[in-house]
Amino acid sequence: MDARQDFALAFLSILFEGAPFILLGTLVSGLLDVYLPAGAMERLLPKNRVAAVLVACLLGAIFPVCECAVVPVIRRLVKKGLPVSCGLGYMLAAPIVNPITALSTWKAFEGQSPLMMTSGRLALGYLIAVAVGLIVLRLPVGKVLKPSMLAEPASSPDESPAGSCCDHGCGCHGELPAVSPDGKLVAAFRSALKDFVDVGVWFSVGVALTALFNTGIAPGARWLDQVAQHPAGAPAALMGLAYVLSLCSTSDAFIAATLDRFSWGAKLAFLVFGPMLDVKLTFLYQSVLRKRFILALAAGLFVAIGTVSMLWQFWLTR
Amino acid sequence: MTPKRQRVLFSLAILSWSAALLYFHASGRIVKYLAPDFRPIALAGGLGLAVLGLFNLLTAGEKADHDHGPSELNPWLAFLLMVAPLGLSIAWTKDEYSFAALSRKGLFDSPTASGANALAATRPPLTREELEKDHRRTADGFYEFNLIEIFLATGDREQQGLLDGMKIATEGKLAPDPAGEGKRARLYRLFVTCCAADSRAIPIALDLGGLPAAEVAAGGWAKASGTLTFPLEGGLIQPVLKVERLEPTAPPTEENFLRN
Repeated sequence: MDARQDFALAFLSILFEGAPFILLGTLVSGLLDVYLPAGAMERLLPKNRVAAVLVACLLGAIFPVCECAVVPVIRRLVKKGLPVSCGLGYMLAAPIVNPITALSTWKAFEGQSPLMMTSGRLALGYLIAVAVGLIVLRLPVGKVLKPSMLAEPASSPDESPAGSCCDHGCGCHGELPAVSPDGKLVAAFRSALKDFVDVGVWFSVGVALTALFNTGIAPGARWLDQVAQHPAGAPAALMGLAYVLSLCSTSDAFIAATLDRFSWGAKLAFLVFGPMLDVKLTFLYQSVLRKRFILALAAGLFVAIGTVSMLWQFWLTR
Repeated sequence: MTPKRQRVLFSLAILSWSAALLYFHASGRIVKYLAPDFRPIALAGGLGLAVLGLFNLLTAGEKADHDHGPSELNPWLAFLLMVAPLGLSIAWTKDEYSFAALSRKGLFDSPTASGANALAATRPPLTREELEKDHRRTADGFYEFNLIEIFLATGDREQQGLLDGMKIATEGKLAPDPAGEGKRARLYRLFVTCCAADSRAIPIALDLGGLPAAEVAAGGWAKASGTLTFPLEGGLIQPVLKVERLEPTAPPTEENFLRN
């Protein structure tokens, strides 16, 4: 009976915290679906594909979204013509490279080198997102996106999968037809409904798993203490913890700041890895990405963030 | 399933999430789940979901200018995955963690093993005079302290020196200490960053000594008055309140400590 009550409290609290942000994301995605002409995002970005990735990874500074809200937005933007490389770069960077996360990190580490931790977090988050974007630039889009996202063939190997944004391949958005405002509103809400359910299902499953881990994490806590001073074990352990806890990027710094047995490098790994990949995101990503790509992304993020964090710690203590 | 029926089913799933958010808000139970800055967001989310669900429910049969195909998920499975965990959780929740879960959140740890050092480092230096001036004194001579002040003092040698031996009174929830053989208990509150899932227990030890069995139920709110000490136990400094009086008290409006 205790386990049920503990699971229920953790499940409801995470659900209540995250659901509004998913709604925000799906409403934005529904409006983008109906009102944003195909290719509009492409026109906002530089023509040079590498420069476009560099700029897309900074868009979180203007459009700040957390990791729960960013997935439905990206689903829709990619279908509307945003290059996949830019979409993934934005998806990984936006929860970290945004003013809300920067402010919360600064506040959490006040008295503990806030400038170092905040700038380190933003810089590493940006660099990792750019690196992923540049790698995706060279991959066939079919290896990245799940089949249902590929409504129509891409115009170029790394570019958008669709001239159309619709799953049904109506092709109606190259030139938006003259339609009534009421009909557009119904379409926007209907699109938001579908997106919310598509994302909400995975979110519900992810939150349930998170709640199970969250309330049963005790054996891991003792093990964490033992690896806290290990140069490679500490960042690896905190990335694992970030994955399990699935904290929001706007608030995870407050948890990291209390992990006083761990090095700065390990805390940095926690703060960068968590917003890019955790239990609930693993499920949310499945509404956009192929499972094999998610696995490769997880392994790449783990190794890259872990390695840079270790080097950063080495540089700080040399 | 027809697109219209699917839209009705999905609208009902969304309305169930909306109802849960709005119910917990209206009943005041939301305070047990979310930190204050997330509560208005949750309310707005509940209202927004209500609008989204109702709009789609009422227009489910209308023809839209630009209609998407059906969801790739099985509609009944999607509905079940969204509604079943929510429904079960609402049925099971008691708005608080069990002692087993709280022990995993640091209820029986020493503050020095729970991050008090890092938190204490943010506090300015104080003098005994300032401490006495800043805290109200009860009629029987106990200075009223917030529990987290005592917790943080465990990570600050200077404050320990000031507080050691001081007669203080503080409030929190009572938990029996399994290793205390009836002579020890814990007084604790939760520190919540965003939501209950990320909460940590902020405990101090109560040395009940020869005090008669307290009339405070486990998990109930209590006011403990006594002398504060900081002995070394198991290699770690512990804040221990040698209790002279333990009495039930009403819970405060905000039961948890919040990051602000």
